[in-house]
Amino acid sequence: MQGGNGHKADQIRIGFYICHCGHNIASVVDVKAVAVFATSLPGVVVSRDYKYMCSDPGQALIQQDIRDYHLNRIVVASCSPLLHEHTFRTATAKGGLNPFFFQMVNIREDVSWVHEDRVAATQKSMDLVRAAVRRVSLHKALEPKRVAIRPEVMVVGGGIAGIHAALTLADSGKRVYLIEREPTIGGHMAMFDKTFPTLDCAACILTPKMSAVKNHPNITLWTYSEVTRVSGFVGNYTVQIKRKPRYVREDLCVGCLECIEACVYKDARFADEFNQGLSKRKPVYLPFPQATPQVVLIDPETCIQFKSGKCKKTCIESCDRNAIDLEQKEEIREIEVGTIVLATGFQPFDARRVPYYGYGHYPNVYTALEIERLVNAAGPTGGELILKDGRKPKSVGIIHCVGSRDAATNRWCSRVCCMYSLKLAHLIKERTQAEIYEFYIDIRSAGKSMEEFYNRVAEEGVHLIRGKVGDVYPDPSEEGKGRLVLQAEDTLLSRVLKIPVDLLVLATGLEPRSDAADVRRLFNISCSTEGFFMERHPKLAPVDTFTEGIFIAGTCQGPKDIPDTVAQAGAAAAQALRLVDAQSYELEPNTAYIVEELCSGCKSCIPLCPYSALSYVEEKKKAFLNEALCKGCGTCVAACPSGSIRQNLFEDEQIYGEIDGLLGTEFGTILDESPTHALTGR
Amino acid sequence: MLTAQEAAKALSDLTLDSLYEIPEGRQVLSCIQCGMCAGTCPYGEFMEYPPRRIIAMLRDGLIEEVFHSESLLNCVACYACMSKCPRGIHLTEVLLPLIKQEMFANLSEVPAELQAALQNTLRYGNPQGLSPRKRADWVKSLDFPIRILPDDPRPADVLWFVECYTSYHPRGQDNSRAVAKLLHALGVDFAILGNEERCAGECARLVGEAGLFDTLRERNVGVLRKYQFKTFLTAGAHAYDAFKYLYPAYGFDYPLEHTTTFLAGRLEALKPRLARKLNHLVAFHDPCCLGRHNGFYEEPRALLRAIPGIKLVEMDHHHINSLCCGGGGGGMWLDTYYKSKGMERLSERRVREAIKTGADVLAVACPLEVSRFEDAVKVMGYENKMVVRDVVELLAEALGGD
Repeated sequence: MQGGNGHKADQIRIGFYICHCGHNIASVVDVKAVAVFATSLPGVVVSRDYKYMCSDPGQALIQQDIRDYHLNRIVVASCSPLLHEHTFRTATAKGGLNPFFFQMVNIREDVSWVHEDRVAATQKSMDLVRAAVRRVSLHKALEPKRVAIRPEVMVVGGGIAGIHAALTLADSGKRVYLIEREPTIGGHMAMFDKTFPTLDCAACILTPKMSAVKNHPNITLWTYSEVTRVSGFVGNYTVQIKRKPRYVREDLCVGCLECIEACVYKDARFADEFNQGLSKRKPVYLPFPQATPQVVLIDPETCIQFKSGKCKKTCIESCDRNAIDLEQKEEIREIEVGTIVLATGFQPFDARRVPYYGYGHYPNVYTALEIERLVNAAGPTGGELILKDGRKPKSVGIIHCVGSRDAATNRWCSRVCCMYSLKLAHLIKERTQAEIYEFYIDIRSAGKSMEEFYNRVAEEGVHLIRGKVGDVYPDPSEEGKGRLVLQAEDTLLSRVLKIPVDLLVLATGLEPRSDAADVRRLFNISCSTEGFFMERHPKLAPVDTFTEGIFIAGTCQGPKDIPDTVAQAGAAAAQALRLVDAQSYELEPNTAYIVEELCSGCKSCIPLCPYSALSYVEEKKKAFLNEALCKGCGTCVAACPSGSIRQNLFEDEQIYGEIDGLLGTEFGTILDESPTHALTGR
Repeated sequence: MLTAQEAAKALSDLTLDSLYEIPEGRQVLSCIQCGMCAGTCPYGEFMEYPPRRIIAMLRDGLIEEVFHSESLLNCVACYACMSKCPRGIHLTEVLLPLIKQEMFANLSEVPAELQAALQNTLRYGNPQGLSPRKRADWVKSLDFPIRILPDDPRPADVLWFVECYTSYHPRGQDNSRAVAKLLHALGVDFAILGNEERCAGECARLVGEAGLFDTLRERNVGVLRKYQFKTFLTAGAHAYDAFKYLYPAYGFDYPLEHTTTFLAGRLEALKPRLARKLNHLVAFHDPCCLGRHNGFYEEPRALLRAIPGIKLVEMDHHHINSLCCGGGGGGMWLDTYYKSKGMERLSERRVREAIKTGADVLAVACPLEVSRFEDAVKVMGYENKMVVRDVVELLAEALGGD
């Protein structure tokens, strides 16, 4: 369908395209009827329907028509602008027009996917098209601005995700700051004994990477440090970091451990965090033998000198490098970075929240992470799995899904527990020859070599029982003293079993860290409903966030195993590199702008801006808008009492024109009737 | 959006055919067949069709077979399955009563004790089959008067719904006398319904006798409408449940309290009066209706702790993991039936746990429990080691002064 061909240079000439999106749109909306309808709208010179507008031929159609019909405006009715606005703007630009002479109509998410009535859906599409056609004629040419990207990258979190991202970036020659809250990097992976499905020793594969971080000339490693403030915008973030005092000088300590030996506490007597409290440490300690950096620290909560000021300070005497500095203070440092990778990890589910499994009550009930430490050669028992009374367990129960797939706690599947439970079954059997009873709901062994590992452990004779344990209580029988009875229905047999065990392992799930919401606010990103950091798109932008220049990797985004964590860390590093190597970043031009002569300097807009893009210029007595920070939310535009703030792509005329189009009213009706318009005199 | 009453009505009018029309019913479609329900059920090992299999049969269109099984006679409506279900399926509240109703209709023979209790309830308004005219006779043993509304229908602050066991059973009457003493001591303006009161009917509904429940409910709501009061109080944990979950659909919308929560809310006023020291080591048994179903775990414990001299211990099963006394859902009248099937009485299992703690008092807060546990204590020969007392009895004793 084509309109007339004769035209003047300043005439609005619109090309309209409606997409079938296969059956997605065409099965509900009569696309041909909408295309015919569009020819009746003022300014429409050509109107077409096409199977897939986003395809190369679809885009070529637009470009060809721009040339053939001297079009100067383009409207495409298809899917959500989130998906293809960029595609069609590019096509418009390739046809020789300013890309912002384009308007998109979403008739898929807003129409065909949510309606069933074909006639009404077609009518709604026509209304939306009329609105877009009205609007596009009022569009102005816009030039996007670019901001420079600083080459430095900050990685927050020194678990396997942060380590891998930092090394990838550093190896490509970028300057990296790795910030870790704990005194050492390594994260949860450093606590694991062996890893599924290959049974690699976790330390053997992790510690070389930890050393590489420490020794890398491009990495500045700050452990025992926390990000306290983030300001700026993509390419230009200013980050404030609190460096907590270790009371030991990092530049002098060589990790000889003489001070620990010399501590006035002859015996270790405080809960060792790294071993999950299953062993003791002294007030001066190294978290674990391969801790990185190899620098001890003093815990002021337990050190006598800090508590009473009356210690002999034997540690200081013992250090021939004078590294111990009890006067050390917290330091606040500021760094400038262009991009940020967040890899802040997860926290294990607190098993006390499922009280009926007896964790914290019965002595031989452990979490999986505690068992990792207990079977580890460097763990509190030297790798020997023994009961609290020193006996070797003869029977061991493992309960899956503790704090996962449960409406009362966490609804999600934690993804790794099935496999780590099978791994623990293997390791416990290897160490103790005990009978192992695994109680599962479903075994989820997706992924390379996982099903084969499941097969292997099953063949080793682990009892796999399909049923969730409903009750745990002390064995009432005489010979069963000290044992716990696990009561569960074997759902494949339809029989309730009561299995006495010496030791019970709870396969606790993964959940967001308790301070994830604070971190989210600090970095101005979003969390999904369960509290993990939210990716920009679950499939197509899995490591991006809604804040430009900030990327996420690892379990802070959702439960995942080590291979997936490392893959995601690599992806996040690549996304940061994409920005760094491009050296600049194109900003969306839909920002607000200030018409200075109208600004009265009332400052009402300044506190309203959620992105701190507005400031007040004293000399001019006017507001100033930093376009690099503006996200185009429109808050200030609506709030300005003098009408001096406007917004590109959302000019009043454009919005009123769109509403007129939608309602089918005479052009300019809404603008004339608008009380706001009358009030502000715009 | 439905109003609260409409939602309650939709729930109470629910049938198996309309199950999927309300959200609580549709939940069964989300069952992951994990077997938590059977694993936690105190009688799960004796059920051919535990809730998990019932759902599987329902979803596969084979539910008719379940109607001909006696499995759910073993359900003591203890809410254990419902409170631990990882999908949060309303088993005890929604699905199981519907299945029980069908199963009950198909029973070749209703166990005699249960049959008698239900017939008595229909005829006399109490399962014991005692005269409704004698419902308030226990009042005569008090040394202060209690206002009975039919005789003196002036408005009262608190209407106290006494319930059956607490009206007729000698040990239940101890509970009522204690409540009366406590209310009297606190200066509460209260009154009872006397012989106009009938069984609240919760057990009837949960055993599968919906028709009987409807009769009782209709009568009770009618009686309540005659009087003016601000708070509706009951010592019956099962009655509390009935009035909280089942009666609102029929216009019951009074502020509701169980004696435990009512007294816990007035603990500051009560405390100075608890003058007499009671040197007991007490194991508290969480009643299913109060604890698991309504989350009142701390209130009864706070009351016990307020009594000078009392020390609390916990049994192996407590709070959400409490073990039912076996009296709910009709279990009160199925002991002979359970015995004939070789099933251990839950009250005996529970008393064994209580004895293991070394406690000399097993404290309860549901009127069905006193007689069940006392019987178990006697049968097991622990009479010299342990007594069973309701929380309100201990409180009244600590009041002293009489």
